[in-house]
Amino acid sequence: MIPRLAIYVAGIAGFFIAPHYLAEYHLFQICLIAATALVVLGLVAVTGLAGQISLAQSAFVGLGGYGSAILATSWGVPLWASIPLTAFAVAFAGFVLGQLTLRISGHYLALATMAFTAIVQLAFIHSDPVTGGAAGMPVPPFRIFGLTLTTGRHLYYVILPATALLFLLVQNVMQSRFGRALTAIRQSETAAEAMGLNVLRYKAMAFAGSGFLGAVGGGLLASLSTYLDPAQFGITQSVYFLAVAVVGGMSSPFGAIIGSAMFILVPDLLQSFQSYLGLVFALLLLGFIVLRPNGLASVRLSRYLNLLSPRPAGGRR
Amino acid sequence: MTDALLHVDNITVRFGGIVALDKVSLDVGRGSIQAVIGPNGAGKSTMLNVITGLYAVDGGAVSFEGERIDGRAPHTIGRLGIARTFQNTELFGEMSAIENVMVGLDRHHPYNLAIGMSHGPGYRRSEIAARREAGDLLALVGIADDAAVAAAALPFGKQRRLELARALATRPKVLLLDEPAAGLRAVEIESLNLILLNLRAEQGLTILLVDHVMALVMAISDRISVLNFGRKIAEGNPDTVRKSPEVIRAYLGEKGAHALGA
Repeated sequence: MIPRLAIYVAGIAGFFIAPHYLAEYHLFQICLIAATALVVLGLVAVTGLAGQISLAQSAFVGLGGYGSAILATSWGVPLWASIPLTAFAVAFAGFVLGQLTLRISGHYLALATMAFTAIVQLAFIHSDPVTGGAAGMPVPPFRIFGLTLTTGRHLYYVILPATALLFLLVQNVMQSRFGRALTAIRQSETAAEAMGLNVLRYKAMAFAGSGFLGAVGGGLLASLSTYLDPAQFGITQSVYFLAVAVVGGMSSPFGAIIGSAMFILVPDLLQSFQSYLGLVFALLLLGFIVLRPNGLASVRLSRYLNLLSPRPAGGRR
Repeated sequence: MTDALLHVDNITVRFGGIVALDKVSLDVGRGSIQAVIGPNGAGKSTMLNVITGLYAVDGGAVSFEGERIDGRAPHTIGRLGIARTFQNTELFGEMSAIENVMVGLDRHHPYNLAIGMSHGPGYRRSEIAARREAGDLLALVGIADDAAVAAAALPFGKQRRLELARALATRPKVLLLDEPAAGLRAVEIESLNLILLNLRAEQGLTILLVDHVMALVMAISDRISVLNFGRKIAEGNPDTVRKSPEVIRAYLGEKGAHALGA
């Protein structure tokens, strides 16, 4: 367990050291990656773990963003409270949406969740009095302990710990009887039912989890971008999140981080190719689906873990 | 039989125009080993799928310990103490053998979601207890050495045993086996016979099995029901069934039955 402890210590040390050496722009990018990773983590839970294809993620993100912003603007609830409050409400919406899986699965489920995203986006556009309609709405600044956090440098201290905590919780759930049950359901619903598992409830819980993570990610992204534009929460964005998950790797939480980092940093590196960015991502997605369906996270496992922990030949197992 | 643990009463199941089961009744006594045999397409697997709630009945009733269970969701039927294996095995292929069994043990070593998220108090104790019990079950069916192997990577005979261990993990009162001997070699069938007889002797487990491998059925069953084209055509102890002309006709056809002089 020493290596794991060392990783934690290094992570925490890195967390406190980084702001002293990195520019605002890079810290902003890190925040963006962390918040996106949270959103994608929701997909890892519902699609990678429970096996339910969901295109509802951008709707959850939008609900999280609008919900916390509206609570803050109209009711005076500070963002640090309105984001988690909204996330619980969105989790409930996810649970209800998950009831769909009683009747539909596979492609039809993907279509139904896509319809959900379309409906939610329309609701944002047509609820002018509260959401600002098609023009969108500003997000009030993140205030906590009397401080106002506006820059990436400030929000870094909120977004990264929140992301780390939620990743840890998801990682724990995956290594518990709940993770086992969801993995079992993904592989054979019939057998899982025969074992006495309430398959519908587990699937709905996975949707609730993806809703919660999507909404927290959405709230954090909103406070980073400071403005909500309903055009950001459409079906295309859902497909984008799914692409991030596929490239990163659906089978592990780390896939969400790696995928998000890739999709946020690559456009920076390829600035001269700006107009071909869509093509680059499309090719990436296609390449991963065909060549490495378990995503970048699986590369990391097979290459690095072998290098880091060489097994002594003939040693004890 | 009034003390039947599992009571199937006059059930009819139709798939479109095909009558898969036609007013079939079946009583499985507590602690007995009962077999349902019949040629392919006789409705044997349909019978198990009806009992476990995968198919709805078009008529008749199924009761377990005196309670109606037809129409209930499969997982609630499973929780009452009815476990099953599947004809073509339905293992959780990517999971290791021991994890497959631990899924079966899920509700017997519970902790809530908050504990699952935090790995808080009770998490380790439950996980260790579940892992130990799963290991014991793997040993019981003779595949303890394969605990860490992915289920899909096991040879077929071992997959069958793993399914049995996983079904036993739910701590059932009655075990339904769907063609447990299909594809097994003679030696493997003998050891399966031993395992099943021991389970009955030591735990008083009731077993309902569906098969057409006679080496298994004849050796361990107390009672055999014979299905043909969805109808029950004979019932009794192995000897009675073996000599029944109806059964010989169903299995060998009219000409074969004539050749045997039945």
